[in-house]
Amino acid sequence: MLERIRNFKMSYYMKQRLLHYLVHVIMLAFLVVSLFPIGWMFFNSLKDNNEILSGRIPLNRASNDCAVLSVDGGSLLAFSANGGVTRFSRENLKKEGHFSVKAHAVSFRPDGRHIWISTAEKGLIKVDPEKLKVVESYRYPLHGVDLSKIASTVTYADADSVWTAIEYKGVQKILEFNKSTGNFKRLIDFETRLSPFVVREMIRAGDDMWLAGNKGLIEISLKEGAVKDVFTFRTNGSFAQLTSMARAADSLYLGSSSGAFIFSLGEKRMTGSIRGLLSDQINSVSVNGDLVFFGTNSGLSILNRRTGRLGSAEKLFASLDNGAPDREKLTAGEVFSIAYAPGEVYVGTTRGRISVLDIRRNSVVSSGELDEGHVIVRWRNYIDMWKNIDFGLYMRNSLIICGIATFLAMILATLAAYSLSRFRFPGSKQFSLGILATQMIPAIMYLIPIYITFVKITEFTGIQLKGTFGGIIFVYAAFFVPFSVWILRGFFAAIPVALEEAARIDGCSPFQVFWYVVLPLAVPGIIATGVYIFLTAWDELMFAWVLTNADTMTIPVGIRNFVGNYQNRFDLMMAAASVATFPVLILFFMLQKYIVKGLTAGAVKG
Amino acid sequence: MREKVFTLWRRIKKHRFAYYFILPTAIAMLLLHLTPIVQAFWMSALKLNQFTIGQYLMAPFVGFKNYYDVLINPDSPIRIGLFEAVRNTVIYTVCVTLGTLWVGLLVALMLNRKFRGRAMIRTLFLFPWIVPTYVVGLLWMFMWQRGIGIINVILVDFLHLLPSKPFWLIGPNTIWAIIIPTIWRYWPLNMLMLLAGLQQIPEELYEAADIDGASRWRKFWMITWPLLKPVWSILILFGLIYNVYSFNIVIMMFGFGAGFPGEWGDLMMTNIFRNSFQRWDFGRGAATSVILLLTMIVVVNIWFRYYRASEEKVK
Repeated sequence: MLERIRNFKMSYYMKQRLLHYLVHVIMLAFLVVSLFPIGWMFFNSLKDNNEILSGRIPLNRASNDCAVLSVDGGSLLAFSANGGVTRFSRENLKKEGHFSVKAHAVSFRPDGRHIWISTAEKGLIKVDPEKLKVVESYRYPLHGVDLSKIASTVTYADADSVWTAIEYKGVQKILEFNKSTGNFKRLIDFETRLSPFVVREMIRAGDDMWLAGNKGLIEISLKEGAVKDVFTFRTNGSFAQLTSMARAADSLYLGSSSGAFIFSLGEKRMTGSIRGLLSDQINSVSVNGDLVFFGTNSGLSILNRRTGRLGSAEKLFASLDNGAPDREKLTAGEVFSIAYAPGEVYVGTTRGRISVLDIRRNSVVSSGELDEGHVIVRWRNYIDMWKNIDFGLYMRNSLIICGIATFLAMILATLAAYSLSRFRFPGSKQFSLGILATQMIPAIMYLIPIYITFVKITEFTGIQLKGTFGGIIFVYAAFFVPFSVWILRGFFAAIPVALEEAARIDGCSPFQVFWYVVLPLAVPGIIATGVYIFLTAWDELMFAWVLTNADTMTIPVGIRNFVGNYQNRFDLMMAAASVATFPVLILFFMLQKYIVKGLTAGAVKG
Repeated sequence: MREKVFTLWRRIKKHRFAYYFILPTAIAMLLLHLTPIVQAFWMSALKLNQFTIGQYLMAPFVGFKNYYDVLINPDSPIRIGLFEAVRNTVIYTVCVTLGTLWVGLLVALMLNRKFRGRAMIRTLFLFPWIVPTYVVGLLWMFMWQRGIGIINVILVDFLHLLPSKPFWLIGPNTIWAIIIPTIWRYWPLNMLMLLAGLQQIPEELYEAADIDGASRWRKFWMITWPLLKPVWSILILFGLIYNVYSFNIVIMMFGFGAGFPGEWGDLMMTNIFRNSFQRWDFGRGAATSVILLLTMIVVVNIWFRYYRASEEKVK
């Protein structure tokens, strides 16, 4: 066999074919490598800056932490932080349906008949829990508020109203909707000394609405529609950040990032704190009958209200990590949500895990998993880049300066190139040589005298040149003329002289010949040259750096502001770079036939 | 003599129209090319700094003092970093000019075959050349970052070519950090020109070489390379001029912050720019740029002479 392979001779044709394919593969690989930086620029413009700075390469995914669990007949509804609603069967945790809201700051409230979802951009949404379909959605009647900037929303439903609390840059409002009609009822402001206050949980008790948030507890009187009182909780000298709240009869059980508290609604004061929980970081609190469930950062703790005295915790359940036999199925027991059914507890943890626990036997019965969160594409960078620095101004300046300068340069260059390519007048040779020689002189040699001359002219005549459009346009136009003449000469040389001679014989003046015969034929060449000059001007940095000021700054000068101003905003920088690149890329793509022709014509002639 | 002047005058009168056409360009070039150049030469003989800038052309005349400071006087402040700038410029220019030429030639040879979608692939290859240079500087600055830059990630984390992540924007690696982006930006232009040249070479020559049994390698050196000479000689000439005067990519990559380019990233243009517009030493800055210009004239002349000589040898 080996012998046969060694003696195998390829035909000439086959060899050629193989080589052809090999070269093809190398070429395409090289194409990928050489286009990679452009793609990388665009890709990073869609990422979050923190993701870039932490060195993560793939696009971020929305968190699929299970935020709320609710038992609904024979099935379990799991709500994930990214806006997903998944329906599981309670027996074996099989997925029965899925529905997702793509919005920011999502919050859920199932009330038996419907699921109420409050979002930042899409308003309040009413979802049918059986079909998992949107029944209706209601916009927030807020005017002049950038809804996508809303940091958090919380919703609560009682017998005849749905309430949504929103927080937006210190604007704190509760909106009340009629539950059956969906009509907007009223707006309650709850700005207090705790603002900005990020609401995490909202519960109605009698005529009062209780809001738990990052700085404490706020009591709002619904009759007056105003804040009644504010309560803060201190642990170790700092504010406890409340994360969750549940009501049991006359008391509120509060979970915070530094312990759990009991708050008496009757006495309106904190009546105790609960010690001995698995962790002081409490993510969720839920009450069912006599049992109070605390979802902590390292497992589930349960307090029996009847047997245990108020203020003391009774450990009914060990940490999921240590106690559960089915350990692989549960990662670190960060419990985010809890639901209760007789004999069983459902817990939702990080990374979309859900488990059913048998609390009597202290074991995991079954577990399931939510879908991965959707990929977050931050198109917002393309909006933010105009706000972070004054990119719109730079863009406008660049367009004005480059556009007018190119236009002027093309007028001058067309005339000169025509004259140089058609007539051999005394001095034409020297002039051509001079045009070529300008290309050899370093730009800084022009820049230093021009800069000082501009300053001097302003000093003597009062005409402002440095830092105005006029000055820089004049400099650009004059600066790009020689090169344009040089390219355009080739285009004019390609136009047959016979046409002009015929026109002359018919009695046209030299100017008429130029205007009616030559110019129309030269238009493609002029456009190609113009585009090329525009691209060169778009790219010019040195003159712009010195001769423009804050009001006339062009893109290359301004774009560096992304680097040092506050921090390296690579995401915005890449977005701005993409905005500066793709228009010219498309322009080139459309006109490349002419540009390539114009540039290579000179090269082939030598 | 009179006769001569008369005929010249007649010719000028005959081409009156051509002069009208050329007049605007001539005025523009007189104002913004010739005048500044003359001024720059004059300025290079003046003591022109922030104290005497008000007098401008009347500033104290020092003759060749500025040139002496730049070239000979070791104690002059302008000499700081000058040697490094010259060295870097030479390395940079040679590497970029040859690099763009060879990469361009390789791709041009690969594209100079018959296959479907060739025009499209050629256009795609041209894309890096359309990316504005300031974007090239920023983009590669981002890619060269030590910890999070994709280049280090690919080299170290994916391919395990290096034991640890090197600094690209600090220290001697800086010179590669400016050469590679420049090659990336400019090779498509060379490819385009060389491809146009390749398509002019008649097919019969290769067929004749095939009959003689020439290898690929030999065919390239005996046919392709000599016949492409008009193209690559122009490309090298322009490459020399453009790369010596290169400015944008370096300035965008490093800016004017503390430790700006550093001793391995500073080029002649950034050096002169810094001396002129940051230290406000216009006289010496002008002197340096005049020296640079004269050097370039010499280099270009040598290149032309070599080119002529080899041309005649061929004939």
